[in-house]
Amino acid sequence: MRHARIIFDGRELDIDIDANDRITTSEGEVLDVALDSDQITWLPPVKEPGTIFALGINYADHATELAFEPPKEPLIFIKHANTLTGHKQVSYRPDGIEYQHYECELVAVIGKSGKNIKREDALDYVAGYTVCNDFAIRDYLENYYRPNLRVKSRDSLLPMGPWIVDTADIPNANALKLTTTVNGKLTQDGSTKDMIFDVPFVIEYLSKVMTLNPGDMICTGTPHGIVDCQPGDTIVCTIEDICSLETRMVSEQEYYGDKY
Amino acid sequence: MTANTLVNSKLVCVALNDKAQLAALDATFNEAPYKKPPTQPVLYYKPRNTWSVDGAEVEWAKDFDGNDVAEMVVGASLGVVIGKETCRVSAEDALNYVAGYTIVGDFSLPEASYYRPDIKGKCLDTSAPVGPEIVAADKIANPDALTVTISVNGELKSTFELGNMERSVAELISIISRIMTLQAGEIIAVGFAGDRVAVAKGDKVEASIEGVGTLTNTLGGA
Repeated sequence: MRHARIIFDGRELDIDIDANDRITTSEGEVLDVALDSDQITWLPPVKEPGTIFALGINYADHATELAFEPPKEPLIFIKHANTLTGHKQVSYRPDGIEYQHYECELVAVIGKSGKNIKREDALDYVAGYTVCNDFAIRDYLENYYRPNLRVKSRDSLLPMGPWIVDTADIPNANALKLTTTVNGKLTQDGSTKDMIFDVPFVIEYLSKVMTLNPGDMICTGTPHGIVDCQPGDTIVCTIEDICSLETRMVSEQEYYGDKY
Repeated sequence: MTANTLVNSKLVCVALNDKAQLAALDATFNEAPYKKPPTQPVLYYKPRNTWSVDGAEVEWAKDFDGNDVAEMVVGASLGVVIGKETCRVSAEDALNYVAGYTIVGDFSLPEASYYRPDIKGKCLDTSAPVGPEIVAADKIANPDALTVTISVNGELKSTFELGNMERSVAELISIISRIMTLQAGEIIAVGFAGDRVAVAKGDKVEASIEGVGTLTNTLGGA
C-alpha cells in the first residue's frame, strides 16, 4: 500500500493508494480521479514532519566524483520542514549562483520511537520509503559544518514524494534502480546497491546518539551523475518500485513573489 | 521530546559568533580543512529530541560502546523567539519580528573540529533546555547589550557580553531569514562564549541573563 497527502476538490486529504491505483481517503471515501490528474495537488507525504536527517557522500561513485575519500562513518546533516515541498511543485534557484544540482535519494520514514536500535531490528522502525530531491548549491559551501545550512536548509529545496510505500512492500531497499531526468534527458543512472551506509546501519548509528521519533526521515544520499539546473527545467527523480518525483525549477523572484 | 518545550518546530544555533574565539582560531581557520575563516554565520540545529525545559535533568551521554562519556560541556545563549513569519527581512526591520527572549542551554560533547556537522556531539537527548520563560520583546531595550553568565554548583564559570558577538541579533535574523523562512515560536540561539564550560555528573548548571531569567538544569548520571 502507498500513502500520501493531497489537496483535492479544495480538501486536504490523507489517502491510501492500492495496487490498482485506486485512491481511498482516511475517511473511507473512494476518489474518482487518476494519479496523474492535474486536479491533485501533492503535499509532502509525511503529515507531521520531524527531524530530517540527510547523508552526504553516501555512494562510492559520488564520493569519487566530488574528490573525497569514501567516509569511514556516515556524514549526516539535519534539515527541517521549511525545505519540504511536494510532487509537481516548484523549487527555486537563488540569484547569482553558478551551480545548483539535484540529488535523487531514497528516504526512510521513521514509524515508531526508538533508541539504541540494533541494525537487525531497524526496519521495524521504518514506516516506509519515499523519494526526495535534496538540492544543493555548491557556491554556498563553506568548510564549517559542511554541508552548511546555507547550502542545505533553504525553503523548497527538498521536494519529497509523491507517496510513501510500506516497508513490507520493498523486500530489498538496496537493489533499486535510481534515475534522474532533466527535461526528459537521462542525467543520473544508478542503483541503491551502491549506497555505503544503508538504512539499518544509519538507524543503529543515529539511535546510539539520540531517540528517533515517528515522522523523522532519513535521506540516504545520491549516486554519481549530478548536473546544474536552471529556472524552467523539469527534474524527475525516480526510484524503482517507490515513486517518481517531479519538480519544476523557478527563479528566486518567481518563488518568493511579493516577499522577494 | 519534552511535551512542554518552549520551542516550536525549530531551534537554530549560531556557533563561532564570539569575536575573541574567532580571533584565537584565525590561524587554525586558515589551514586545512577550513582553508579560510567563515564568511557567513556558522549555524547548526538542535533537533526536537534535544529540547527540554528549566529544571529538567540533562542526560549524561553514552559513547558508541554504551559507556558513559568522559567529558561534557555546556554553553548558553540568548534565545531569540520569532513572533511571526519572518522571510527575507532587513536587519533594520528584524527586531520587529521578535516576540521575546529566553535562554538556550547547549549541552554537548567537547568539540574538536567545526568541519562537519556534529551529530554525535550536539544531538543528544534532552541536551537543549530552553527557558525559564519567554520575556516579551518590549521588556528588552537592546538585546545586544545583554550579558550571559554560566555558574556551575554556584560558582561563576563564564561571562559573555553579547556586545562581543561577531554579528548582532538583528543581522543574524536578517541573514537566516534569507536562507529559511522562520515561523512564530522558532528560536535562534544567537551566540555562545567561545570557551564552553566543562561539567560533571550531578552538576547544577545555572545560565542567567539579567532581565531574562535563570535557566537551571542538573546533569544526570550521578
